[in-house]
Amino acid sequence: MPHVLPNLRVKVLFFGRVRELTGITEEAVEMADGATLADLFERYAARFPQLAGFRASLVASRNQEFVSWDTPLSAEDDIAFLPPVSGG
Amino acid sequence: MSAAAENDRFELLHAPIDLAAVVRQVRADQDGAIVTFDGFVRNESHGRPTLYLEYEAYEPMALAKMREIGMQIHERFSVHRLAIVHRLGRLEIGDTSVFIAVSAPHRAAAFDACRFAIDTLKRTVPIWKKEFFEDGAVWADGELPPAPPSATKPAS
Repeated sequence: MPHVLPNLRVKVLFFGRVRELTGITEEAVEMADGATLADLFERYAARFPQLAGFRASLVASRNQEFVSWDTPLSAEDDIAFLPPVSGG
Repeated sequence: MSAAAENDRFELLHAPIDLAAVVRQVRADQDGAIVTFDGFVRNESHGRPTLYLEYEAYEPMALAKMREIGMQIHERFSVHRLAIVHRLGRLEIGDTSVFIAVSAPHRAAAFDACRFAIDTLKRTVPIWKKEFFEDGAVWADGELPPAPPSATKPAS
């Protein structure tokens, strides 16, 4: 398919209430080159409509660092959408 | 990394924490004080009797964030060694979920660093607690870690 943008593959991880909501612990997904974490979240929000309302109470991470939603994805990134933390 | 920081301990355990062993690990002759924090499972939450808790973590990120707390502590406080150990999985009433020990030549720095460690852990380390009651279970209200500012345009 010569006219399709190159894809990049990332790993997406889910924890806590978001893991329960999606039923996913981790999976690999392909996104178009240039996509951001927000774009990736939108894909999951479309797949799991209940997730859409959660975004304001989630923080995104890329390769185990908290990042802003407009961070671009890179191939082989580990991405997670983390609920409020409650350790201790 | 300083020699002191090399003796720090950051660990996630799926088994009971040996509190005395953690204290021994931070204790040294050059110190004059150790302050510890023992966080354990309370038997109620907002007035409802708790049956037990389950903790889960994004383990590699949680360890990285615990090590960051250690680096911040060595920058801010005159302490010698630091241990932060968090337990995961199912915990019963009274089980220790988190144990922190800080040694220092003088007590003030140890108190301050220990308080900083538990307060920062609760805000920034990706660990989650689910509370189980007679009539159901809920994920504990947590704190949303501070989000960094918007990404700058990638260099092109």
